[in-house]
Amino acid sequence: MLCLRLKSGGHKVKMAFQNPFNFRFLLLVCMWLCTTSALSEELIQAKVVEPYVEIHSGPAGGYPVIHVAAKGEWITVLKRRTSWFKIITADEIQGWIKQDDLHLTESSQGQPVKLFDGSFASFSERDIEFGMLGGSFEGTPSLTIFADWVATENISAGVSVTQALGDLSESQYFLVKAQHTTFPEWRLSPYISLGVGQIRTQPKANLVQSGDEARTSDLYAVGLGVRYYLAKNFLVKLEYNNLQALTSRDENEEIEEWKLGFAVYF
Amino acid sequence: MEVRFRSIFLVVLALLNSSSLIAQEPVKAGTLIEPKVTRQDINEANIDSENFELGLLVGVISIEDFSSSPLFGLRAAYHINEDFFIEATYGQAEAGETSFEVLSGGAPFLTEEERDYSFYNVSFGYNLNGETFFTDNLVFNSATYFTLGAGSTDFGGDERFTVSLGAGYRLLLTDYMALHFTLRDHLFNSELIGKEKTTHNIEYGFSATFFF
Repeated sequence: MLCLRLKSGGHKVKMAFQNPFNFRFLLLVCMWLCTTSALSEELIQAKVVEPYVEIHSGPAGGYPVIHVAAKGEWITVLKRRTSWFKIITADEIQGWIKQDDLHLTESSQGQPVKLFDGSFASFSERDIEFGMLGGSFEGTPSLTIFADWVATENISAGVSVTQALGDLSESQYFLVKAQHTTFPEWRLSPYISLGVGQIRTQPKANLVQSGDEARTSDLYAVGLGVRYYLAKNFLVKLEYNNLQALTSRDENEEIEEWKLGFAVYF
Repeated sequence: MEVRFRSIFLVVLALLNSSSLIAQEPVKAGTLIEPKVTRQDINEANIDSENFELGLLVGVISIEDFSSSPLFGLRAAYHINEDFFIEATYGQAEAGETSFEVLSGGAPFLTEEERDYSFYNVSFGYNLNGETFFTDNLVFNSATYFTLGAGSTDFGGDERFTVSLGAGYRLLLTDYMALHFTLRDHLFNSELIGKEKTTHNIEYGFSATFFF
């Protein structure tokens, strides 16, 4: 409130600084605001329970160890990058510790710290997946990006966009898909999918000078795939899709597609 | 009516004040005031994780046969672990003229619209993590990285499947802000000046990104 009022007119700000009492008052208010916000902040702290934890200068194993937090010392976790955690010790030394080392600490409730993410245990609790697949769309290179929402252990729904770039034409399609995994508890698990969408195919510019030959058709897809939980929050996927494009010609167009790629989950 | 509301409000206020006064214990002289720190239990949700990187890209791209042009784009990355990341880049440039067009002054190969060059690619990256010592005391974390990716280039009226190979240097000014210097080759097949061939389109890029 005070700051706002002071900001509203340059004149008032000037007044505040000309008068040393006002300036001191302002400083006190600022300090009070700072301290209250710092004190009310909830700290994520853990106590080292093993002989020591190594603190690195950066978030990777190759960075040198700059300090160690000894047994009984409290460390505050500031942030995380991949499986590295930026911490600050009671002596104000900042550095990075790895996830395995964070598991050598216990929480304020005396519980051993255990983060389940990046493990197969967390995989079944994932909510969303997104990733990229590359492959062959009737012999031409294709690229797909997708996002899936994992509704239950077995069922997920998602959207995907694919671009296939051939020598003769360029195709783009999107699909809205539902997927079913029968054995979600398996590390390597098959799944089936059904999807609907639309495909747009455009011949290359050097083949058709008019350039208005692009056509759009409805698309149905049946797919079969396997996914493999690799490590951390990372999956590998291999998919086969059989696509039916409902063209305006006499016959529908059948397209076969193979894709291999990866996904990350959250 | 208003008077009644006001009196109720005052009574409530007085009660609140008195109860907080009663609750206060007398502070002994010399007692340290401990900050009221509430410790949270550690779990995945309450640690701020910064694995995504987003930023702007500027640079120069040499489009084979069509001279060099300034390039503008966006760059996003997701860091899988300390070694690997996935990167998506989108860039736009406008192609210049071929030497033939310049020398002969004849008919242009491409229309203005066809000279718009844009690309996207998704790449896998591998970090060689390290530190950069500017002086004895001025040290930044950094990484040299290599990328391999695929995507599409829209140029000359067509979309072309494009493979990209790159190398870069990431300088982390803070934990969440980085500067990148990249060199990347975009390879695609083109028949724009006659016979089909694989073209190499070299991009020098500079980008500033933020982790979130």
